[in-house]
Amino acid sequence: MNCAEYREAIAADPAFDGGASHVAACSDCQAYQREMQALNVKIAKAMLIDVPELKMPELPDIEADNVATLPVRKRWLKPMWFALAATVVLATSISLRISNVFQSYDSLAEEVLAHMDHEPASLRVTDEPVTDERLARAVPANLAIFDRNASLITYAQPCIINGHKVPHLVIQGEYGPVTIILMPEEKVAEATPIDGINVKGVILPVGDGSIAIIGDRKEQLGPIQENVVNSVTWTT
Amino acid sequence: MVSEQFSAVPVIKGTRGGSSRMTSSSTEGQRRRRFDRLVAVFYQDMYRFAAWLSRDKAIAEDVVQEALLRAWKSLDALRDDDAAKPWLLTIVRRENARYFERRRLETVDIDNLSASQAALLAETPNDELDDLREAIFGLDDDYREPLVLQVLMGYSTSEIAEMMGLKQGAVLTRLHRARHKLKGNVEEQ
Repeated sequence: MNCAEYREAIAADPAFDGGASHVAACSDCQAYQREMQALNVKIAKAMLIDVPELKMPELPDIEADNVATLPVRKRWLKPMWFALAATVVLATSISLRISNVFQSYDSLAEEVLAHMDHEPASLRVTDEPVTDERLARAVPANLAIFDRNASLITYAQPCIINGHKVPHLVIQGEYGPVTIILMPEEKVAEATPIDGINVKGVILPVGDGSIAIIGDRKEQLGPIQENVVNSVTWTT
Repeated sequence: MVSEQFSAVPVIKGTRGGSSRMTSSSTEGQRRRRFDRLVAVFYQDMYRFAAWLSRDKAIAEDVVQEALLRAWKSLDALRDDDAAKPWLLTIVRRENARYFERRRLETVDIDNLSASQAALLAETPNDELDDLREAIFGLDDDYREPLVLQVLMGYSTSEIAEMMGLKQGAVLTRLHRARHKLKGNVEEQ
């Protein structure tokens, strides 16, 4: 890859992670890469126009005609009816629990812990970093900028916490994976401890938002917290 | 900062409530809760996408209203809520196209803007951002749309290609040219 090819690629996608050997040896292209990434942040800020309050339109009733008609029911024996009802109740409660849709939590910390339980695959011990593209998807420029050079990021996924899209990241700590959830729209008044069965952590107030950092009970989270907070810039 | 929870229905105006002619009111209620939850999460993205497509705040509001209606009617076609964002943005994109097709609106003349168009450019008292916003506003639709999808909505170039019905190479070219134009504009300031 030469300079022209690299610059074309980085201008098309500032998260482009190819051409590493070229850019490592070319200071001009390194400068161009930084310039493009800085421009991208400015573009994101410029695009973040104010959004008016939602005015939901009058939603029409869904016509019964559109719903599949049930065939005429046979008269069931009572035990069969009970068995079916019990199955439906059980299936509904399981699906609601899995989908987490209607579940409410007493606190943000509780929801963060519950979310971690729902994504156990994130807590993989690995030295394989996520790609820049994946990180950019999880941390879009209109939410935050996360300096990936500060840590080994092994998981990056956009998730929903308290109704907001938030970046869910995992870095590798001394005692295993450390979960980081960036919540630019969740303001907390003060640092809030998180206490799980095998994990501990904290939700730190950062600007108008907060960052949850959770790791193994033996993990020294202090230096990680400082590193993470210094790596994040909100753009909302 | 507004805290939008899943149950943030109170901020929604003009809702009709739970009356329904469906076979089951609980099914209707679940459908409505699902819709409200998706809208609460993605409304901002829908509006901003519509605003940058149409370059007009008033049109963006109309487009989003139409898109919400269409999404409500076809909600059952959305099998997986994880796919809700591209689904909703695609609806916005089509409604925007329909809007301009119906009105047969001409391309926006940046030197002769309506108040609603100008409002989009006068968002914040920040000279640098104002200039850049105007430069984005002045980009051709073909360049502006993939840029919004990439920068604001966080989509990869392959996903943008799929949404816009283009080849990935074409998307890369458009994005490269868009940034090249914006870079030139920033350097001129």
